[in-house]
Amino acid sequence: MKKNILKAVAAALMTASLLTGCGNDNAGSEQSAQGDKVKIEYWHVNAETQGGKTVQELVDKFNAQSKDVEVVARYNPDMYKGLMQNLQAEAAAGKSPAVVQVGWAFLDYFSNNFTYSAPQKIIDKDFSDDKNFLQDNFLPNVLDLAKNSKGDQVGIPYSLSTPVLYINRDLLRQAGLDENGPKTWEELIKFSDTVKKQTGKYGFYMQEPADNWAQQALLESNGARMITDGKASFASEDGIKAYQAYADMVIKTKSALHISWDQGVQAFVNGDVAMLYTTIAQRANVQKGAKFDVAAVSSPAWEGKPKKLPAGGCFLAITAQDEKQQKAAWEFVKYLYSVESMAAWTKGTGYVPPRKDVADAENGLKSFLEENKMMKAATSQMDSVVPWASFPGDAGLQAEQLLLDTRDKILSGSISAREALTQTQEQINNLLK
Amino acid sequence: MRVMKNKKNLITQNTMIAYMLILPALLVFAIFMFYPLFYTAYLSFFDWNMIKPLKVFVGLDNYKALFSDPLMPLVIKNTVVYILILLILNCAAPYILAFILSFVVKKGRGFYKGAFFLPSVISLVVGSILYLWILNPVSGPAAVAAEFMGINIPIWSKTQGLVIVVLSIITTWKIFGYNFIVIFGGVTGVPQEIIEAAKIDNIPLYKIFFDIVLPMSSATGVYIFIMTIVQGLQYVFTPIKVVTQGGPDNASSNVIYDIYQEGFLLYHTGYASAMSIAAMVLFVILLVIEFRYVEKGIYYEN
Amino acid sequence: MKIDSSLKWHVLLCIALFVSLMPIVFAISTSFKELSEAYGNVLGLIPHNPTMANYLRIFQELPLNQITLNTVIVAFAVTVFKIVTSVMAAYAFVYFNFKGKNLLYIILISTIFIPFTMTMIPNYLIISQIGLRNNIIGVILPQLSDATGIFLIRQAMRSIPLSFIEAARLEQAGIFHIMFGIVLPLAKPAVISTGIMFFINSWNEYVWPVLILKDTANYTLPLALQLFISSEGGTDFCVAMAVSVVTMIIPLGLYLIFQKYIISTFTSSGVKG
Repeated sequence: MKKNILKAVAAALMTASLLTGCGNDNAGSEQSAQGDKVKIEYWHVNAETQGGKTVQELVDKFNAQSKDVEVVARYNPDMYKGLMQNLQAEAAAGKSPAVVQVGWAFLDYFSNNFTYSAPQKIIDKDFSDDKNFLQDNFLPNVLDLAKNSKGDQVGIPYSLSTPVLYINRDLLRQAGLDENGPKTWEELIKFSDTVKKQTGKYGFYMQEPADNWAQQALLESNGARMITDGKASFASEDGIKAYQAYADMVIKTKSALHISWDQGVQAFVNGDVAMLYTTIAQRANVQKGAKFDVAAVSSPAWEGKPKKLPAGGCFLAITAQDEKQQKAAWEFVKYLYSVESMAAWTKGTGYVPPRKDVADAENGLKSFLEENKMMKAATSQMDSVVPWASFPGDAGLQAEQLLLDTRDKILSGSISAREALTQTQEQINNLLK
Repeated sequence: MRVMKNKKNLITQNTMIAYMLILPALLVFAIFMFYPLFYTAYLSFFDWNMIKPLKVFVGLDNYKALFSDPLMPLVIKNTVVYILILLILNCAAPYILAFILSFVVKKGRGFYKGAFFLPSVISLVVGSILYLWILNPVSGPAAVAAEFMGINIPIWSKTQGLVIVVLSIITTWKIFGYNFIVIFGGVTGVPQEIIEAAKIDNIPLYKIFFDIVLPMSSATGVYIFIMTIVQGLQYVFTPIKVVTQGGPDNASSNVIYDIYQEGFLLYHTGYASAMSIAAMVLFVILLVIEFRYVEKGIYYEN
Repeated sequence: MKIDSSLKWHVLLCIALFVSLMPIVFAISTSFKELSEAYGNVLGLIPHNPTMANYLRIFQELPLNQITLNTVIVAFAVTVFKIVTSVMAAYAFVYFNFKGKNLLYIILISTIFIPFTMTMIPNYLIISQIGLRNNIIGVILPQLSDATGIFLIRQAMRSIPLSFIEAARLEQAGIFHIMFGIVLPLAKPAVISTGIMFFINSWNEYVWPVLILKDTANYTLPLALQLFISSEGGTDFCVAMAVSVVTMIIPLGLYLIFQKYIISTFTSSGVKG
């Protein structure tokens, strides 16, 4: 008996070492077969539910047509935060991928701490044909999204999302409301109350992930600014009013839901909430899951004021260290921004194309946008896009965290929006000093 | 006296063999535990974010900051609450269950044992996602079922206190089975005859439990006690990360999660290092106290 | 009277069982549902339109056999290595006297209390220096520095009556005879229960592999689950549950096969902590 166990263990260990040995051999032969191709890594955050398949398709297509570059895509779980963690570990080990997706909230942190090459710099050095690529193909306000607080162009916007309002038309009708949803926040508040009174269900849920993206849209659309001249400035009258109105829905009328993001989305898709304010990137998920008459409308505005919607998603930064890799990286990046690739990206992910001419081009998204009415809610509000507030300096990430804690405080009703925002603003400005 | 003498004879003086036996474990520890640890201790004196080329030496500043961190009291309080809840759910509850199954209910014992163990083979990531859905207070199955009975489930993920309870329940779901099986082994070590005799004397069940079973299986009990504290705190990390990210307003953060948040979300590497060194010292002190006071009362078979 | 009281206990036990098993049933049921039914029909355990699509999808999109094999190799290697080194070390700590014994033991045991997040970055540096990133050996190595096994097995060995060993000593039995012939059989329940714990923990290990492994072909099962979870794009709950069910199968199967053996060794002598 004992001998048998020992034998089994030994055999298993042997197989294990053989198997892992095989793995290594494969890696070796792969490299030799590809000859002199420059191998570069592309880091992304796209899970299979969020365009992971499209990433692979784009990479495969690129590799098939490129003579001298071989791209390997690496998925990073836990979104941009997770990618940043991995990048941090990689940098600490003295290595770095060639192209990475960087979430907007990390714009300043990334540019302060990592070595990257501004795309225009690589272009000017080695690709004179592409000299005007950026300026010709991107709207200036979109390109500006990837400028850090010092005004440097850190990368190129890639995945662009904006917040939209998903509505459960069945519920709105049942409550006797306009089935096309509210146009302004003032209307939305009334809608939400009516739904609660008429149907007993929740009227509204605004996404509450580990960032303040949606809340920024609410505040800035009312005239507040998250950051002015490198200092937190959200606790202006406009900001406080907007936040308090939102908090009142949660605390006073209890028509809005205060819950974690996954659960809030689940509640909407289940038909327990009439209106959901979240990213356009959730479109496929909402569409696939909802059994009711669901639609997406553009983000509401405050009455008489212009909308200001922070861009979600990420930009692409080139972190390749040596020149060969940098050249390869640009080739790949340029490929990702071709009209066809951009169109595939939007179809696969639901992101809004950051590049001009993709939406209307025949080989672009023309037919896709005609079929997917929900996308229109996002594409039609691109002129309102503003940068996602990224607090400058090393304390920037902590500032963002403080703002998150504040959200919980305000929405739990333990403190008024005025008091909480003023306190936090002061705290953040002390940190940023 | 005789025993003492024997013991002396027994323990071999051939230290070479002893070192050889420990060597493999020691080698692994040296590389993957002690070196990283020294490195962490070293980092705790610097202001650094892991990638800046320059580490700024700050002396004891990180430790000083630790004591003035306004979050620290809350995080420590949460940690204690987690430990208490985990002890009730994963130490006391399986003990009682093991007692019932060994001495009170005998039918279906094998079935119960197998079934209670099942969830412990499943990953906590899976468990956390599952519970996030099942316990969704608005539209999860638990809420739908409760609605039939006219009960509203509170929005626990945003309620202070309650959020810790739910996260502990998720963790319990995972570790209950293993603890139960181990305790069951210990409890059945208590001779049946003693229990039967006590039953015949009409001694109430709770008395049998506290006066006979508990003391006689205390060795197992202490082991589970320690493992619950140590592993429970590390295990609960996953549900916190998946379900609440420490929220609302840090109400569900514990020491382990806070270290992670400082080190890997805010990149305060030096500060997080200081925090982990402090946490380690704290746990070691707890362990020493435990050994000093509890170990003495343990019942060993020989 | 007797029957009544035992019925009461059975009801209590069954409620506890329901709470503990329900999530698993729910996971299995959901893995056969379409997404819209997972939302709409939360209480129904039997899907109206059962579908294999979720399973087909993961088997088509992922090298699932390779991933499962990777996970088996990692969990098995970690378990075997840890058990062997722990038994050896524990034996030395119990039956030998040497300089620095207590200090060494306390130092080793204290490492149990170290939050794993703090050794992560230095370990990452080591693994990349020896070129084991994106390699499952790199996943295995740092997992081996775990003192829980030494603690548990030492505790078990301590409670083996010394008279047994004394007798063997008198018969001039060698160390290997004492170790394999007397101590190990008596410590077997502890060794097995520790081994099970090691296997399950390593099987489900997530935080470390996610840092080390890059290509899907090198993934372990808990990583595969992450491919279907995204806060921004939404989680495909049904597919995620299909991956979860696949992840459960092997540890569950192992448990069911060894259940009788495991439980009987536990109960025959108990883990004498």
